[in-house]
Amino acid sequence: MDLPHDASRLDLSDPTSLGIAELGVAIRSGLLSPVTLTQACLDRIARYDNVLHSFITVTADRALASARAAEAEIAGGGYRGPFHGIPYALKDIVDVEGVPTTAHSRLMPDTPATADAHVTALLEHAGGILLGKLGTFEFALGGPSWDLPWPPPLNPWNTDFLPGGSSSGSGAAVAAGFVPAAIGTDTGGSVRWPAACCGIVGLKPTYGRISRRGVQPNTFSIDHCGPMTRTARDCAIMLAASAGYDPLDPGSADEPVPDYVAALSGDITGMRIGLIRNWYAGEATEEVTEAVDRAAALLATLGAIVEEVVLPDIGQYADAKTLISMSELYTIHAPDLRTRPEMFGAKLRQRVMGGVFIRAEDYLNAQRWRADLARGLNMQFSRFDALVTAGWLNAADPADPNGADFFRRGRNVTMPFSVAGVPSLSVPIGFGAHGLPLAMQVAGAPFAEATVLRIGHAYEQATEWHTRSPILHSGVSA
Amino acid sequence: MTDSPSHDDIVLLARQAGLNLPPAYLQELVEAYGNVRQMIDRIPTGRPRGDEPAHVFVPTKFLPAGQ
Amino acid sequence: MAALEFLTIAEASKLIATRKLSPVELTEACLARIEALDHLLDSFVTLTAERARAEAKAAEATIMASGPVSRMHGIPYCLKDIYDTAGIRTTGMSRTLADNVPTRDSYCTEKLVAAGGVLLGKNATWEFAHGGPSWDVLFPPARNPWNRDYSPAGSSSGSGAAIAAGFAPATLGTDTGGSIRSPAAACGIAGLKPTYGLVSRRGVIPNCFSHDHAGPLAWTTEDVAILMQVIAGYDPEDPGCANVPIPDYTAALTGDVNGLVIGVPANWLETDNPPTPATKAAFEAALDVFRGLGATVRPVTMPPLQQFDDCKKTIAVAELFTIHAADLRARPELFGDSLRYRIIAGGLVRAEEYILAMRMRTDLARAMQAVMATVDVLMLPTNEPAGKLEPIPPASLFTRSSFTTPFNTGGNPALSVCCGFAANGMPFSLQIVGKLFDEPTVLRAGDAYEKATPWRDKRPVLVAKETA
Repeated sequence: MDLPHDASRLDLSDPTSLGIAELGVAIRSGLLSPVTLTQACLDRIARYDNVLHSFITVTADRALASARAAEAEIAGGGYRGPFHGIPYALKDIVDVEGVPTTAHSRLMPDTPATADAHVTALLEHAGGILLGKLGTFEFALGGPSWDLPWPPPLNPWNTDFLPGGSSSGSGAAVAAGFVPAAIGTDTGGSVRWPAACCGIVGLKPTYGRISRRGVQPNTFSIDHCGPMTRTARDCAIMLAASAGYDPLDPGSADEPVPDYVAALSGDITGMRIGLIRNWYAGEATEEVTEAVDRAAALLATLGAIVEEVVLPDIGQYADAKTLISMSELYTIHAPDLRTRPEMFGAKLRQRVMGGVFIRAEDYLNAQRWRADLARGLNMQFSRFDALVTAGWLNAADPADPNGADFFRRGRNVTMPFSVAGVPSLSVPIGFGAHGLPLAMQVAGAPFAEATVLRIGHAYEQATEWHTRSPILHSGVSA
Repeated sequence: MTDSPSHDDIVLLARQAGLNLPPAYLQELVEAYGNVRQMIDRIPTGRPRGDEPAHVFVPTKFLPAGQ
Repeated sequence: MAALEFLTIAEASKLIATRKLSPVELTEACLARIEALDHLLDSFVTLTAERARAEAKAAEATIMASGPVSRMHGIPYCLKDIYDTAGIRTTGMSRTLADNVPTRDSYCTEKLVAAGGVLLGKNATWEFAHGGPSWDVLFPPARNPWNRDYSPAGSSSGSGAAIAAGFAPATLGTDTGGSIRSPAAACGIAGLKPTYGLVSRRGVIPNCFSHDHAGPLAWTTEDVAILMQVIAGYDPEDPGCANVPIPDYTAALTGDVNGLVIGVPANWLETDNPPTPATKAAFEAALDVFRGLGATVRPVTMPPLQQFDDCKKTIAVAELFTIHAADLRARPELFGDSLRYRIIAGGLVRAEEYILAMRMRTDLARAMQAVMATVDVLMLPTNEPAGKLEPIPPASLFTRSSFTTPFNTGGNPALSVCCGFAANGMPFSLQIVGKLFDEPTVLRAGDAYEKATPWRDKRPVLVAKETA
């Protein structure tokens, strides 16, 4: 189902069901007004989000003003590119000038942010229409939590379940068709896990690919901003709009930004793919294991050379990352822990406290461990163009405040690519029990986002998962 | 800033650090830690969350040579 | 020609290139001088005489056949005993490494070998480049050639002494808080801490990963520039190494400092760590030389000096502990008392404290680069002249402020050159600091100063002890 060149063949009766690519074609050709599109999204949010709680703040007036400006600009011949007129939303740890950043926490002041985050500025410059700020684990860590000023977002596929996290609202909002584009952040898996749970595409890019300036930190040396969209092509468009060097972010990479969309050739013949089966077989649920194995087999039928490869146990990556994270998180939140610990949600407080006793030697040894693990993982890219493994070891967790705490499990299949800082794309690969989505990860060498997106896109074109949408239910209005 | 650790506190901290020292070296540690502690107490705290430490993770540094 | 052992690299390489001097002659002269006089200074801990003779002979043959491959071809050099040398013990002056024989050369060793240098041996250092002058480590501490009762400072103590004494024209040291510049200052020679990341640290026993620098010491700034040309360059095996183009350092030595804008950190000199009147006078006289050459001088304000020390030392004590943790836990008695004292408390530093110190570094580094943007170079004394060689109270590491540490914090290139002699004959020192990767300007200033002053004409006099 390739992108139609002729916009008139698009069904625009429900523009919220379309992705960035199709919307861009329709907007550019004048067949769809950005104002109509934005209004449709806002209406859908108003109708269904009181059940899903994906938004914390909806910036409706601003959105419509931006949409009108975009419409005028495009009509006047000033088309900026494929993100022009596209509604998007931001995980509520990303600053927008004039809008408060809550971090889903009592700890943040009500006052509006004084400057756009770098990624916000880029998406605005690309002509995006900001619809609002999305729910998240508290400070991208403490969740899912029911003791915060706003409820946790729910999974649009089945509201008895959660959408993963910490970019929980981002995953839910895109899956629900509220916005075709959202920014999440990913430290140990926080873009890829919600993408997996919500049946959408989520990219953790290379560390430093997208600037972290103006984003509340979780772990300085492991944080990444990432696009969350319905398809791989949409992801490529959004990545192109948000990637780039920012000298004011000390971790930002001064690397050229390739044409990610042009790289979506649809052809993966001859590509060497390493399947990291020992990370999921035996530990993931049966439905996940079968789905990932099937997806790998499909990649082989598309012409890729898929070969199993054994990598170190995921626990090692998790331990190294957790030691580093907890040290940095404690340092970040220490002033509040000392003066007003009661203002934290319980999960954030518990998860951050442990960092107090970590010694510098332990932190340094964890960094040394990280270096070893990163080198080991990167060596695989001499052999393979990409690595594939499960997106998450189980489908979405139940929305149960007393349910098992994923954090205590400590092991997950997203951490390794965070530790190495290499790009990893979460791609929907089917559905399991309770109608819940399943996913795989496709990872590549540093700055090889184009390779990873090409594989995700080729898989997508051979399947229909991305054409399905959850059926939403509107809540009883208050 | 905070209370200085007592001699017994330091013995505990040392044990936690895996240092099982004879009394003479323990005394060295107590004195040395006193100096280090004074230094640490002068390091500014109470910073905004976004203040970044002087470290950068550069993923390409971990590629095998020649890549 | 001058006595062979007092030839600079620049002079010797010219003579070698024109076949007026054989590397074999030069090497023999150095070895003979070391054998006759190093008992006074203990600047060498390992002498590699056989290897030196073999390398000199090979250099002679190649040069006769096809000319020198570099300006270091056939030139004797020595290395602080923390630079790995394959097949040759590398001890860090520590009983914990008494039997350590590396199997691979350090990056810098490889570069010097490839340039055709002649290895004379390994130099005394403070234990693990950190432990202060010690009498309870593997070898006795090195002494100052200007007066052997005085300290050559450290931690590259043997390297500084060997150059000043005319044992070798070239050496490499390392600098984490001042360990190239302090011995250069104490021994009246030139020593450069390059920009962080310019010279690979691979194969150098680490002191503090985030603040270590490898760099040259030599009699003159010109010689330092020649050595930099050999060792600077990108090494992907050192994760801190910068991938930057390497300029021609010797071509930068134009002698022209007309219009050079010199910043002097006024608050450090007036309030934080005022030098003695004699040191201040020597420093002012050096500034006058620069004024005479057309430079201008203006005061600048830096963050308080102690902040740089607190920041660096908190980070360093944690990293040093981590590096030596296994031995501290299993066999602490093998360390010298001074080193052990200086690093053992690092095991109690919490990660939060380390990260706070790293955040402080961000502030200090930014402030330094902001000041450097307003001037061409900074100048200030390196240190007070050398004191007596005696045990330093180990606690002094934590309580003293230094003029050298701030440039480890910021990573800026910093050169020490001799700027006169005190009444007791010990050298005064001048520190010249540049913008990041602006070694050319720093070296140009040092070279111009040396050529406008008489300090390079005078060598220490060493008299062998009579044998019993």
